[in-house]
Amino acid sequence: CQSDFLDREPLDAPLNENFYQTKDQVLAATASLYGYAWFDYNTTPSYGIGDARGGTLTGTVNQIDNILFETSGASSDNSSAWRAFYNVIGQANRVMSDVEKYTASSVSESTKLYAIAEARFMRGLAYSYLVQNWGPVPIITDNEASLSDTEITRNTVESVWEFVVRDIRYAAKTLSATPIQDGRLTKYAAQGVLAKMFLTRAGISGTRNQSDLDSAAYYAKSVIDNSGASLLADYEELFKMKNNNNTESLFALQWIYNGTWGTQNAMQSYLAYSPEITGFNDGWGGDLGASMFILEKYEAADKRRKGTFMFPGDHYSYIHQSVTNAQTGESTIQELKVPLSNGSFGARAWVKKYVVGRPEDNDGKVLQQRTGINTYILRLADVYLIYAEAILGNNASTANAEALKYFNKVRARAGLSSKTSITWDDIYTERVLEFAMEGQLWYDYVRLHYYSPARAYDLLSDQERGLYTITPVYTGNDLSAEPTSWTISLSYSRKITANSGNFTMPIPTVELTRAPNLLRDPVPYSF
Amino acid sequence: QKQVVSGVVTDPSLGAPIHGVSVMVKDSLTLTTTDAEGKYSILVKSTDILVFSISGYISAELPVGNNTHLDVALEEDIQSLAELMDVVLVGYGELKRTDLSSAQVSLDDKQVDMTLNTTVEQALQGRAAGVYITQNTGQPDGSVSVNVRGINSVNGTNDPLYVIDGIQINTSGAFGSNSAVSPLAGLNPADIETIEVLQGPSATAIYGSRATNGVILITTKRGKQGDLSIRYGFQYGIQNTPKQLPVLNQQQYAQFTNELHASAGGTSPEEFQDVSLLGKGTDWQRELFTTAPLVNHQLSISGGKEDTQFYLSGDYFKQDGITPGAGFDRGSIRLNVDNQTRSWLKLNLNLNVNQTDDKLTAQSENVIVNTLAIAPNIAVRNLDGSWGGADNANGNSVQYTPYNPVAIANLIQNKYKRRQLLGGVGAEVNLAKELTFKTSLNTNIGTASTTYFVPTYTLGQQANNIANLTITETNSSYWSWNQLLQYNKTIGDHAVGVMVSHEAQYGLVKNVSSGRMGFITTNILDLNAGNSSESSNSSTQSDWAMESYFSRVNYTFRNKYIVQAAMRADGSSNFGRDHRWGVFPSGSVAWRISQEPFMKSITPINELKLRAEAGVTGNQGNGGVYSALTPITTSWGTGFVTSQYGNHNLKWEQTTTYNIGFNLGLLQDHIHIEGDFYIKKTDNLIMKSQLPDYLGTNGNGSIASPTENISALENRGYSITVSTVNLDRNNFVWNTNFNISGFRTKVTRLYSESAIIDRSAWYMNNFTQRSVVGKAPWQFYSYQEEGLFKSVDEINASALPVGSDGKELSVGEYGVWVGDTKYKDVNQDGVIDEKDRTYIGNPWPKFFFGITNTFEYKGFDLNVLITGSYGNDIYNYMRYANSYPNNVNLGMNVFDETMSYAQVATDAQGNPYLLNAGTQQARLVGTANGNNTRISNRFVEDGSYLRLKNVQLGYTLPSSLLSKQNLVKDVHIAIGAQNLATLTGYKGYDPEVGAYVGKSMTANNQPIGVDYGRYPLTPVYTFSIHVEL
Repeated sequence: CQSDFLDREPLDAPLNENFYQTKDQVLAATASLYGYAWFDYNTTPSYGIGDARGGTLTGTVNQIDNILFETSGASSDNSSAWRAFYNVIGQANRVMSDVEKYTASSVSESTKLYAIAEARFMRGLAYSYLVQNWGPVPIITDNEASLSDTEITRNTVESVWEFVVRDIRYAAKTLSATPIQDGRLTKYAAQGVLAKMFLTRAGISGTRNQSDLDSAAYYAKSVIDNSGASLLADYEELFKMKNNNNTESLFALQWIYNGTWGTQNAMQSYLAYSPEITGFNDGWGGDLGASMFILEKYEAADKRRKGTFMFPGDHYSYIHQSVTNAQTGESTIQELKVPLSNGSFGARAWVKKYVVGRPEDNDGKVLQQRTGINTYILRLADVYLIYAEAILGNNASTANAEALKYFNKVRARAGLSSKTSITWDDIYTERVLEFAMEGQLWYDYVRLHYYSPARAYDLLSDQERGLYTITPVYTGNDLSAEPTSWTISLSYSRKITANSGNFTMPIPTVELTRAPNLLRDPVPYSF
Repeated sequence: QKQVVSGVVTDPSLGAPIHGVSVMVKDSLTLTTTDAEGKYSILVKSTDILVFSISGYISAELPVGNNTHLDVALEEDIQSLAELMDVVLVGYGELKRTDLSSAQVSLDDKQVDMTLNTTVEQALQGRAAGVYITQNTGQPDGSVSVNVRGINSVNGTNDPLYVIDGIQINTSGAFGSNSAVSPLAGLNPADIETIEVLQGPSATAIYGSRATNGVILITTKRGKQGDLSIRYGFQYGIQNTPKQLPVLNQQQYAQFTNELHASAGGTSPEEFQDVSLLGKGTDWQRELFTTAPLVNHQLSISGGKEDTQFYLSGDYFKQDGITPGAGFDRGSIRLNVDNQTRSWLKLNLNLNVNQTDDKLTAQSENVIVNTLAIAPNIAVRNLDGSWGGADNANGNSVQYTPYNPVAIANLIQNKYKRRQLLGGVGAEVNLAKELTFKTSLNTNIGTASTTYFVPTYTLGQQANNIANLTITETNSSYWSWNQLLQYNKTIGDHAVGVMVSHEAQYGLVKNVSSGRMGFITTNILDLNAGNSSESSNSSTQSDWAMESYFSRVNYTFRNKYIVQAAMRADGSSNFGRDHRWGVFPSGSVAWRISQEPFMKSITPINELKLRAEAGVTGNQGNGGVYSALTPITTSWGTGFVTSQYGNHNLKWEQTTTYNIGFNLGLLQDHIHIEGDFYIKKTDNLIMKSQLPDYLGTNGNGSIASPTENISALENRGYSITVSTVNLDRNNFVWNTNFNISGFRTKVTRLYSESAIIDRSAWYMNNFTQRSVVGKAPWQFYSYQEEGLFKSVDEINASALPVGSDGKELSVGEYGVWVGDTKYKDVNQDGVIDEKDRTYIGNPWPKFFFGITNTFEYKGFDLNVLITGSYGNDIYNYMRYANSYPNNVNLGMNVFDETMSYAQVATDAQGNPYLLNAGTQQARLVGTANGNNTRISNRFVEDGSYLRLKNVQLGYTLPSSLLSKQNLVKDVHIAIGAQNLATLTGYKGYDPEVGAYVGKSMTANNQPIGVDYGRYPLTPVYTFSIHVEL
């Protein structure tokens, strides 16, 4: 046979050394960093850690280890999240080295740098989640070279934070002011995340470092002034698929409802209370709902409540449900009127955020375990509150006009009155309510814990995570109208104890079995 | 002057005529054969000499002279039985059995036909020493695990190489919803003439890089010179239902539910309040399982003249499953033709066209698991005829209660249709007297089509509102071209054979999958009937190529010293340019001591041969050189991700085997013993390392670890076969074949000291099987139980499980309490956590065996096959899953043993104690901290068994009866029973568990020896008739 008879390159996929010949090819390689690699984090750990562990979500089965604050080395969200963040890092590292090595000279330098900046942003973001959840973690910058290295050691918390800041700052400097394509990263997305990184890092020495706080304020202000982003008028509109990449969204994971497995948002399957509102055999969230802790924080006027949690009797015109007549067995489709929850799990205020409804509610863009709603990582409201918190800094309260202005914008949109002076508690409460079910609250405690651990333990240990009953109250006897209020009463109290032993998550057990080198003392990273 | 001579050929010891004796005019092509009455007639000259020959008898030569009638009595030739018939097939050639110097097991068509075989692998069970066979699933056409001489790969395939009439068959590949079917299903077992299982390195190494897992050569029947033979066979069987496993009936279920709620809180459904008013509820096993028929028709026509012989056959086989949603049918046609075109040229053709249709719903939808797990208070059908299902009001859970398995098996369609063309043409040219050139061009073209349809349905409160259809089409093609020179020369006492050959092979697979949703009709299974806006599609394709040069030299001296050496060089597209070629040498020597003069006086020994051999075989894996960018969807069109790191340094995996063996024939071969002992060392095992997650190589969105040569394995084993003629007198013959084999596999090296290879099944609560250095692969890995806590003092003195903060759970009724499971503190650190998991079971047997007894008396024949395995562990996962008391809160059932849960009482001093101290089942706790439900050694069971695999009683109609007519030459009728009885301590349906083939399993993550709703193998009763015209 001829000598090339045995040369059989893949027939259905290009080799990396032959790729990166055009701008489109370079961008196609970084496109996958916006969703696919984050899938294992997004599906359950995002709210499992951020909300169930953080305290806004309760239940009895699926998230029970997080809800009981007993996330262990065997907990699935723990290992999924750990794995997903490092997968993001692995893909980002690979894209960076491929782009450096293989990009054709005909492709402009700015495209190349844009792609590298995207990858560094993703990597920095992944490391920020890692350091906040597990403390010291190993920094990997060249996966292929590390594959056979069994001596890899964790790096100190300070090192990891420095690495995060460098990556994101590079992205903030390099990315363009407007996205190359709708939904891609911009300079301001990176600046906004950088502001948050500085705000959190400020406390890692045990007291809040003023220069980091100043940097946080500086970058937050830059985003507010220059990005052109604005709050959506209606909070509930934020969580409709048709409003993906709206004016408030600075950076969101980008999902496709009907693509390769792993490129979709699968959260609805786990959060929707029943198949009757998904249209498929998913909707396994009947056991999950708002915790007493957050329910007690809502003011009656707060418009965010209905956009975040469903109460029995709530009417959603833009989500439909299938109702089966018990006598005839026939089912009809109607606008969602949230039923009273009963059954084996007891009463819940079910989750609404990231539950987008049936295919017919979303131009057909829903399948089993698949929706296309983007997951917010940073939206402008977050930057407003970061800005206020950076200005407040180490003060007990502030009446700074700028801080108040943006803080009150968030409240005003929620339908709440303005404040004239704000404390840390005010910002904290606002964040709890604004970002519930967006995987955020846990990281607010992490930020606090750096410089005031006792306070963090107290707040967590004081949360009511137990079970309750929730009953609608109607004016008059018209049960078809919307309820005017609800009676919520605690039926079973459940509180947790947070302490220095269980605050961060343990490295997954399987990981330690495979890599006992992770048990060694962390070392500084040499930059 | 020609004359007709006729006569009768008889066997004097039986006094019976011999059918099929070839009567030939010496040194001519004139030939005939005797008929059923032993009669012949032939046109000859008076100077001719007639040669009467048939295998098994000493040939006779008689001069014709003036005779017109010549009756002949042929003497039986015991020696020839062993030798004349015994030209055995070896790789790329054939040898006299006595010249074999390598370990090899042969089966002939008689042995294959003895059992009822849906697919050909089943025929090997219990028949071939050294071959460990377990049927992974009992569904019709269920796949079979075939391990030749131990385990040769930790996460690659262990399937041997099958070679059908010279065509190498690639069997690896099918996983997911098609994983449960046999890759050889298209082959009609009745077409098989012989099966040779090549085991020794000298025999297998000629297949080089594909031979490490052993080689199974299958030869199909060919036409023989003589009268046309028409054979028809019919087989009808009834497959029985399995014995029932003990799940709770409705009354027990209700009572158990009430007791659970009384102790742990919760409310039972209203109907459960008076248990005595309840019926037994649904007996799901009885509803699901049903007896099922199987039917097989076979027709073959063969024969030919001196220049052309043919074999034409067809078969139709149909086997229903013992559950709905399972079934298999096959239709196949084979044509084998041989033609002596010129005195120096022979041509041959093999052509097989077959189609198989499988129904795989029962397997892919976990129907058996759900039958054992669904609550008995759910009806199969409601009073109005609609399907029953979970209902919250009955204490079921819409989310967790299994979907009505009878409904699912009937509603969901998973059809798998395969079409295959397997064939080749060959030419054999006699270049010189002792020099032959052979060439063959073979091909294997197949299509496989999967139709998977889920209609809309309502099962109680569970429903599927959107129908979806996925159709997957796979096309594969393969060709190989071989050129071979064979030189055989005998000079005095020296016989030499030399073979040199070149071979090229190429394979291509393409796969297109597409789906739509929103079907309004369930009758039209076509994509166009679905909603085009909810459609999806994907495709893959890949090819491979291989080129080989090889040679073999045989030398025998005085038929007693035998030397063989072979060498093969394989170049494979699976490797980069620098590592492409692998060289596989082998050599063997044998000494037929019995041919030595000094042995002639030891008359009891008629054959004694000692063999020694060594050789290298390989494995080329499945690629992994390239790091390709895989297309994925993104918001901005097609994106690309790296899905695996490439490895340009990947090279051949190589196995070095040393084998010694002997053949011993005693008392004119009334006793024949063959034994082999081997050591196989596999190095540079091709596999992916299981790297820590921080390297980004695991899970969705990862870049998988590169394929590397990173570990080593060792197998040591033996196989012994004893065949005896126990009795052969007064028309009564009793033969026995007993074979026993054992192997020990040990992982000898992994990629790092701390390396472990885990197979962890997410769909089985992360049930883990671990491979580490020093042990056989895939040990069950989890906790060890030490009974239940009997007193508070015992709890205080014991290591207790920890919570997430690393601190021990509290002692008390809502923490660890009397009646809870006590786990062994394996690492003795004073607490129970994941580090206390250990090796709790080994799925591999210490030895396995088969015994075949055949009895013949006049026209009757009786075959009895017993198979067995000893010392393997089974993880009875079904028992584990059905032991969790909380199941009843989710509409799931439990096994009877769960009712024996620990009952805690308090004595006069206020100390808790157990009322039923002997029980293993922990107390009922509501807020389970998972403490009593860890996967543990309690469900590791001994999988040893002894099975009456097959009994068949047959009767051949006497020739005296048949001679009254001319149409029918031979009739054989038989009744039989398969899997008639099994002696085992195993508590599941069936101890022959094999590899798990459920829907969620992937290629390198297949649980071994774990029973999680395996489709049971049940008794089959058969009737068959074979008629020859």
